[in-house]
Amino acid sequence: MMNEQRREFIKKTALGVFVGLGAASGLVPAFSLEKTALPVWDEKPVPGKIRWGMLIDTRKCKEGCQQCVAACHHEHNVPAFKNRREEIRWIWKNSYKNVFPTADNAGASKEIQSRTFLSLCNHCADSPCTQICPTGATFKRWDGIVEIDYHRCIGCRFCMPACPYGSLSFNWQDPRTAIVDPVTAYPTREQGVVEKCNFCSDRLIKGLQPACVEVCPEQALVFGDLNDPASDIRVLLESNVTMQRKPELGTKPSVFYII
Amino acid sequence: MKSRKLLWLVTFAAISLFAAFYLFSNGEAETPQKPLARVSVVDSTKCIAPKEFMRANHMQVLHGWERSVVRDGDRVHIASNGSRFQKSLGTCLGCHNNRLFCFSCHSYANVKPKCWNCHLSPMETQ
Repeated sequence: MMNEQRREFIKKTALGVFVGLGAASGLVPAFSLEKTALPVWDEKPVPGKIRWGMLIDTRKCKEGCQQCVAACHHEHNVPAFKNRREEIRWIWKNSYKNVFPTADNAGASKEIQSRTFLSLCNHCADSPCTQICPTGATFKRWDGIVEIDYHRCIGCRFCMPACPYGSLSFNWQDPRTAIVDPVTAYPTREQGVVEKCNFCSDRLIKGLQPACVEVCPEQALVFGDLNDPASDIRVLLESNVTMQRKPELGTKPSVFYII
Repeated sequence: MKSRKLLWLVTFAAISLFAAFYLFSNGEAETPQKPLARVSVVDSTKCIAPKEFMRANHMQVLHGWERSVVRDGDRVHIASNGSRFQKSLGTCLGCHNNRLFCFSCHSYANVKPKCWNCHLSPMETQ
């Protein structure tokens, strides 16, 4: 009888030691809910002071490389639905004809027309999606980012046809079922909301570059403040011939391409 | 006798595991944090308001936080006594880290807030 109790005691102690050590060393995850990250800016931002923009040097962009797409989709818990109708995309590669459908092809060589180009939300200065949104869920931020406030989105999908670039995706079903490798640092979306690229506003607040820019092995992506004449992006924009998508619509995209 | 052997084995395993993870986590801790400019002091050792007020009004507080962070980028909450907090669910739950903190009351009152449809709930992270 005595021995039996002792045996139980040893068993339980060993288990306790294991669990305790595991918790202390991080083997058993301790509390890890979206950690409070200290923002770079602690003051309320001044509207209109910054306008974030991106320059994509498509000459450097490697054919077949999907690192930016993977990094973005991993970082933001973007679900991987295989079905094209339910696909969620924040950034993806597309053909010349689909990215620049209204560009005059007379000057574009065969080589250019056969390449693929990154497409993402253009964060337009004059954005049709924010104008059409009936609840104000899609809105223009103080720093030029077109953001979706998922708290307000009612899933009416007006923004989807309003966007001339097809940058928005709708969550037809619960996205949590299709997130391959979830990260705890960023929330997911829910069924019935529209989502798109947020120019990594979650990383900018920590003083980091967007995930796609950071991960690009060719440094083909440049991110910066379009209102700052000394920024890298402005210098490159002034010294190169660049292109925007469908400029004739007057949406004033913040994403530029070097072809 | 057998259990004594087992105990030694378990103790050895535990110590070696601990040592391995101690070194591992130490390495992580040593990587210098990027210095952040003009960072506010975030005090998470106190509550932002008295318990009674928070019991009745936490939903308005959270809704106000959500609105001012997402819409205006105003991320710092200044409490009535002057202490500063980051407007984040993580600020609340970093302190109130009982995983049932939200759920015990909500299930008793039969309210179903939609926070955890998108944000990670404490139930899912532990």
